Amino acid sequence: MRQILPVADGADVRRYARRMARRYPRDLLVSLGLHALAAISGLVAPWLIGDLVQDVDQGTTTAHIDTVVFVIGAFLLAQTLLTRWARYQSFKLGEKVLADLREDFVENALELPVGTVERAGTGDLLTRTSRDVEALGWSVRFAVPETIIAAVTAVFTVVAVLLVGLWVLVPLLLGVPVLWLGTRWYLARAKDGYLRENASYAEINATLAETVEGARTVEALQLGGRRRRRMDNDLRESYLAERYTLYLRTVWFPIVEVGYLVPTVATLLFGGWLYSQGHTSLGAVTAATLYVQQLVDPIDRLISWLDEFQVGGASLARLLGVAQVPDDRAVSGRQPEADDIRADEVRFSYLEGRDVLHGVDLELRPGERLAMVGPSGAGKSTLGRLLAGIHPPRTGSVTVGGVGLTELPLDDLRGRVALVTQEHHVFAGTLRDNLALAVEIDGDEHDASDERLRAALEAVDAWEWVAALSDGLDTVVGSGGLRLTDAQAQQLALARLVLADPHTLVLDEATSLIDPRAARHLERSLGAVLSGRTVVAIAHRLHTAHDADRVAVVEDGVISEIGSHHELVESDGSYAALWESWHGDGVRA
Amino acid sequence: MKSLPLADPGTPDTRSAGRYLLFVMRSQGWVLVVTIGFGIVWMVAQALMPAIIGRAIDDGITTGDTSQLLFWATMLLAAGVIQAAAGIFRHRFSVTMWLDAAYRTVQLVSRKAAALGATLPKRVATGEVVSVGANDIAHVGNSVDVLGRAAGSVVAFLVVAAILLEASTTLGLVVLIGLPALLIAIGPLLKPLQQRNLRARELQGELNNLAGDIVAGLRVLRGIGGEEVFHRRYVRESQRVRDAGVRVARLQSILDALQILLPGVFVVFVVWLGARFAMQGEISPGELVAFYGYAVFLVMPLRTATEFANKMIRARVAASRVVAVLALERDFAEPEHPSPEPSNNTLIDADSGFVAEEGQLTALVSEQPADTARIADRLGRFAPGHVTLGGVPLSELATDVIRRRILVSDTASTLFSGDLRDELDVRRRDDRAEELALSRAIDAASADDVLVALPDGLDSRVEERGRTFSGGQRQRIVLARALVADPDVLVMVEPTSAVDAHTEARIAERLREARSGRTTVVVTASPLVLDRADQVAFVAHGQVAAVGTHRELLAAVPAYRQTVTRGEGEDAT
Repeated sequence: MRQILPVADGADVRRYARRMARRYPRDLLVSLGLHALAAISGLVAPWLIGDLVQDVDQGTTTAHIDTVVFVIGAFLLAQTLLTRWARYQSFKLGEKVLADLREDFVENALELPVGTVERAGTGDLLTRTSRDVEALGWSVRFAVPETIIAAVTAVFTVVAVLLVGLWVLVPLLLGVPVLWLGTRWYLARAKDGYLRENASYAEINATLAETVEGARTVEALQLGGRRRRRMDNDLRESYLAERYTLYLRTVWFPIVEVGYLVPTVATLLFGGWLYSQGHTSLGAVTAATLYVQQLVDPIDRLISWLDEFQVGGASLARLLGVAQVPDDRAVSGRQPEADDIRADEVRFSYLEGRDVLHGVDLELRPGERLAMVGPSGAGKSTLGRLLAGIHPPRTGSVTVGGVGLTELPLDDLRGRVALVTQEHHVFAGTLRDNLALAVEIDGDEHDASDERLRAALEAVDAWEWVAALSDGLDTVVGSGGLRLTDAQAQQLALARLVLADPHTLVLDEATSLIDPRAARHLERSLGAVLSGRTVVAIAHRLHTAHDADRVAVVEDGVISEIGSHHELVESDGSYAALWESWHGDGVRA
Repeated sequence: MKSLPLADPGTPDTRSAGRYLLFVMRSQGWVLVVTIGFGIVWMVAQALMPAIIGRAIDDGITTGDTSQLLFWATMLLAAGVIQAAAGIFRHRFSVTMWLDAAYRTVQLVSRKAAALGATLPKRVATGEVVSVGANDIAHVGNSVDVLGRAAGSVVAFLVVAAILLEASTTLGLVVLIGLPALLIAIGPLLKPLQQRNLRARELQGELNNLAGDIVAGLRVLRGIGGEEVFHRRYVRESQRVRDAGVRVARLQSILDALQILLPGVFVVFVVWLGARFAMQGEISPGELVAFYGYAVFLVMPLRTATEFANKMIRARVAASRVVAVLALERDFAEPEHPSPEPSNNTLIDADSGFVAEEGQLTALVSEQPADTARIADRLGRFAPGHVTLGGVPLSELATDVIRRRILVSDTASTLFSGDLRDELDVRRRDDRAEELALSRAIDAASADDVLVALPDGLDSRVEERGRTFSGGQRQRIVLARALVADPDVLVMVEPTSAVDAHTEARIAERLREARSGRTTVVVTASPLVLDRADQVAFVAHGQVAAVGTHRELLAAVPAYRQTVTRGEGEDAT
């Protein structure tokens, strides 16, 4: 996959995480405090049971037992209530932070430079939106609170153990190097291993999706065997990735188990020896053993969430990366004095050293309709994007009223020039929502705004089918709603443009998906609405050129011919030859 | 460990979701038995540890007997090591079963999808089948993964109950009756929690769709405006998701607290009884510690039981979606006694009267594009009709034969991801023939410029659905692919609708040459292509109304002229 969008580095991720932690200091403190209290309440039982064992050993009364058990029960109740409250607080905090994270991301995506969006396409961004937001959601909802709880519980359990007797530190520390080394070995490999595993499942899904969505083509071309092999290959890759992480766990799990076991056994032995020497009590040995065992649970949860953190961190890095795309517009503050657009000596390349345009000069006459024709790959679309101010030229200039198009702020530019391409999109929502993107529709004057929408739809020959829908403009379209045809979607895109009403429009194959006969009618009614506007139409149908004021033939990155349809037909160049063959029988214009 | 994926995923039982899960479990064979064995050893070793600690305290510490203390400490170490070893083996076998179940399911579904072909999109939403791969296979896998632990939990529970029963009937009964009762006590909370969770996930799904929608339409938003509107809408939805999440949290936190309280009550009760017994001398202090240990340990089988129930419920839902796909049948049944293959390639559609003569390039034009698309569907037997190939009705031919002889390449044809070379040459021949066929087809489809722009030419990668190509580039690659396949009969629908006039003219010229001597049908309204056809059939109201060359029809049939000159007859002269 082409990855043009950057990924934030570790330092940026940590800085952002710190900022997030500081955003809600009160909530964080309350949550931590409650968890601490809950953990402390949970530590009372082993202590009292240690005492109880000692008391029983030395002889005691039923009343004493009842009292101790009652106290244990009371602390259990306290632990229950505190846990409920603490969990609720931290879940709430998690939801708040998660909402902030995803809203920040969408805000950043919406601010991406328009040139980057046009070039990078949306594949990479879509992956980040779906997979990374989800992975991060998992981390924030579960990994963060669980880790906090586990850490708090572990800390207080250690404190409790040390209150029983400082000697317990000795067996406890015996486990540390085992856990430390094993876990370090594991974590150094786990992230990449699990990312590879996830990627392999993404690949399996993509292959299944392709087979399913292209099922008709699979049948037509008899691709069944091929698709089966592809899936089996993906599964083999996935199996290798799974085997690797399984190997990591096969090493790590037993090490960790031993790391838990050693302190328990050592506490028993060391404690027993100290007791026999009279240095400690039976209650203390019992309590210590129970504490050390009880410590296993939070420690285990703590380290098993660590690799989740790594995966969440990687997702966060990709989400933050979106904010790091440098703006490709250099707003100068200069204001154009006129509406004329011109290109001078324009050269442009997407890849260094591979110019797509080789010195184009073009002056758009205000109010004219210019058609651009030429073979695929000649640079028509690129020139169109430059004329619409999407990219700055590598050398030369594209200006409106003497000011470079990429010097204008985006909002200002949109009021002057707009681009509609073959790639269209219908947003999930009503037709009204889809049209009103660009204009503030005034709520008070609903009729008037409906009039505007209707006029725009009429201009693109779409009013007829919209009016025929039972909900009219309120029909829900897009994914989950009424599915529009490609042709209808293109009509919507054009209607948006009519509503935005810039003085110059660049239409890049904007009617290519509409039936040829209907397209011609549409272009004519659109032309009527856009009279007085400058229109650059990149088209593959010659009638568009025939209807235009001027025709520019783009070949090999330069404008090879320019003039009216009649002039070009007369001049007998490549346009004339094309027109000739298109009409075949000599029906000349 | 066995090697995955399997060469043959087997024949599934698709009569019901439950039967499918049973099929998956049965397919595990001895691995399932071994996993359950390790699961039991693992859990029982853990269950015995409190007893060992109790003996260490009684026999080793209180008596001051160092050799006994050492002995029991060693026993504890041994139990720990056995537990760790059995645990990791159980894990490895469980993962193998999970993978087997998940891979097997996705293999079955994807093979079924390929076998259903054109029938599939008519019967189910493609999104539903795709979500099987994204979600359901994991749930099916979980159903076998949890078996080892579940079995271990049950046995460990019984072992502990037996130990306690021996020490005291009361204690044993408390465990045997009390614990399952606790399990049931949490039950009523689970249903509303699941509902809230479902609601939250639904909202989350909608939010993801909205974000996807924003990103997919980002070009439009950045080009025309509307970022503010969509940002506000996203924030609004995002806050709704947050509210739903908080509603889940309210119940979830109660459940979490209950999971401390209920086992805790049990622990307190066991300690209380134990302490009284110990005071009366019925049990030793070490046994009291052991009792406490058992009570704490029993939380684990309790949780596993809940987990088992949850996973089985989810697996059933997932399996029902899997079965829904696997049980589908193709539209057209294979003929019981297929006719022998015809030698001739003349294709006739009796319903419209359309005839494509052997070896000729026949164009098909219609006033209504939908009419010709229907005819193309019939010609390839994607729709029922009365079509004959060389005099034999298609309904009497095996599907394999029809697909090999007749290729329909329509506007819905998709590109698949992979190396461009492989994606073009779908019916792989030997290498020399391949190179030649490829370069000819690419030339005929006028797709050279697409190749030149690619970093590695023919060895470049095609992304899913060819999304890195423009519409015109995609169309030409699809055309080249059809030409490389070189079928006896090629039916193309609007093969040049998205390419520019320059290129269209070139393709029209070369197409003839590339298909010379082969039967070819082109559905098109482009005069550039029509002019190169041997015969043009003009369809009105679903019936062939006129047949002739492009020029003949232009001269003789006004409706034809109207259609192909795209309504410009009145002012283009």
